[in-house]
Amino acid sequence: MVKIRSIIFYSLIKREILRFSKVAVQTVFAPLISTSLYLIIFAYSFQNREAVGYNIPYIDFIVPGLIIMSLIQNSFANTSSSLIVAKYQGNIVDLLLAPFSHIQLSLGFMIGGIARGMLVGFVIYLVSIFFYGGSVAYPFLAIIFALIISGIFSLLGIIAGLWAEKFDHVSIFSNFFITPLTFLSGVFYSVRGLPGIWSEVSLFNPVFYMVDMVRYAFVGQSDISPWLSLIIVGASFLALLYLVTHLFKIGYKVKS
Amino acid sequence: MTVAIKIDSINKSYGELQALDDINLEIRKGEFFGLLGPNGAGKSTLIGILGGLVNKDSGSITVLGKDTVKDYRETKLSLGIVPQEIAFDPYFNVRETLKIQSGYFGIRDNDEKIDEILDALGLTDKAEKGPRELSGGMKRRLLIAKALVHDPEIIVLDEPTAGVDVELRNSLWEYVIKLNKEGKTIILTTHYLEEAETLCDRIGIMNKGKVVKVDTKDNLINSIDRKLLKVKVDKTSDDLGEVFASYKLDVDDKNKEFEIEVSKNQLDKVLSLINSLDTTILDMNISSPRLEDVFLKLTQLGGGQD
Repeated sequence: MVKIRSIIFYSLIKREILRFSKVAVQTVFAPLISTSLYLIIFAYSFQNREAVGYNIPYIDFIVPGLIIMSLIQNSFANTSSSLIVAKYQGNIVDLLLAPFSHIQLSLGFMIGGIARGMLVGFVIYLVSIFFYGGSVAYPFLAIIFALIISGIFSLLGIIAGLWAEKFDHVSIFSNFFITPLTFLSGVFYSVRGLPGIWSEVSLFNPVFYMVDMVRYAFVGQSDISPWLSLIIVGASFLALLYLVTHLFKIGYKVKS
Repeated sequence: MTVAIKIDSINKSYGELQALDDINLEIRKGEFFGLLGPNGAGKSTLIGILGGLVNKDSGSITVLGKDTVKDYRETKLSLGIVPQEIAFDPYFNVRETLKIQSGYFGIRDNDEKIDEILDALGLTDKAEKGPRELSGGMKRRLLIAKALVHDPEIIVLDEPTAGVDVELRNSLWEYVIKLNKEGKTIILTTHYLEEAETLCDRIGIMNKGKVVKVDTKDNLINSIDRKLLKVKVDKTSDDLGEVFASYKLDVDDKNKEFEIEVSKNQLDKVLSLINSLDTTILDMNISSPRLEDVFLKLTQLGGGQD
């Protein structure tokens, strides 16, 4: 039975990875092009400038932020679109009729999202080497942090995909929640440099902690302690994993 | 006799609508069971609860002795359900879909079984086609193929031949009968009553969320004590109405025919009355009730006849 269950779990992961691979132009190359354009524009526009409060070239500062931004967007997009398409086409019944445990569904979709997020993030890192040299202060930490962050946004994508009744609903989640929080998280600037209360307001943005701890792994400096960020981000991950598993258990918006 | 599926006091409502009202049903291992009922009777809801697509309000279902909620992973492995609605995974071709589906049920390297099913359902030449390239009938075949890849003990076909051509019906039934002979339990819901009449050993009739009758096909048909006597004569006369005043009579003057509905114990008397008519009998036919008559009677779709 253990072998059967592991094949079942592996099949879902394989399906999720194959799904985005089949449309790689849209799922991998498109984000690679758009992020590469960011790198070109920022590298040209802010050459010879330093990031405020960091004493490092601006391009060194912005690379971890751009990688995380792509990681977040693609992890979220993978799980949310996989689920909304399955609901729209009706093949969500394949998952409901199959003998998946609820945690297998959560983890299977999540790992699919992580795979796409990490792939896009890694390819962008390879491109960024041409712009800043590619040094990473703590590579192991960078990988761990990236895995947790893409896990979080894959889980949020599952929630959005389950909640959404049409494609518009997913874009509401993405455009009015994910994108503003990401752009205001310190991807492009240090929150330390923000005037007045805005620096404190940024601490309420969960994406800030993610960007900040990855920046620590890349450049060895951060706005706040990376370990505090890790605790907050890790706790969010576990809470979301529990919530998503519960949603699968009750069949939220997929069972009548 | 071993029980394949035991449905015990299942209730399900959607707001004010009681979709399933205290359903109790046993389906035996190895039988070909028909679940019939008009639209909205609750058949698909019941199948949905069996497969985990619908949450029940109360009651329980066991599949081969395992509870569908507590042991849902085991029960799902034993079930192959063909849902009524056509659904397909747009990213994968037919063969890839069936390989993924096999994996979902814990089977790796299932090519032999997949080839057998593709062949049986006439999908072999479509194996590398994407679902969007398939016609409606072919999509329906793929839906059926998906439910069979893991060689389930119990196969549930929810309106599998709705809107499909005769060719598929024939090849599907040929294959399903073969599976049934190999010992698989088959549950069929269909609008085509002649299919149920031809294929099923036992039949359950549902109406308005209740199981109104469960019996063997023969018992159900025999439960209607009615024969239809059709007589062709050389001339019809006005006194037919008078002679058969106490029977339900339908006269067709144009074709010189009349039909009388009789019960078995009235048959002898009616034949004597026909003999006494001042007419020559050219032809006569006695027909027994069909499953459709039983269905109409039990679901009262026949306008309260009988």
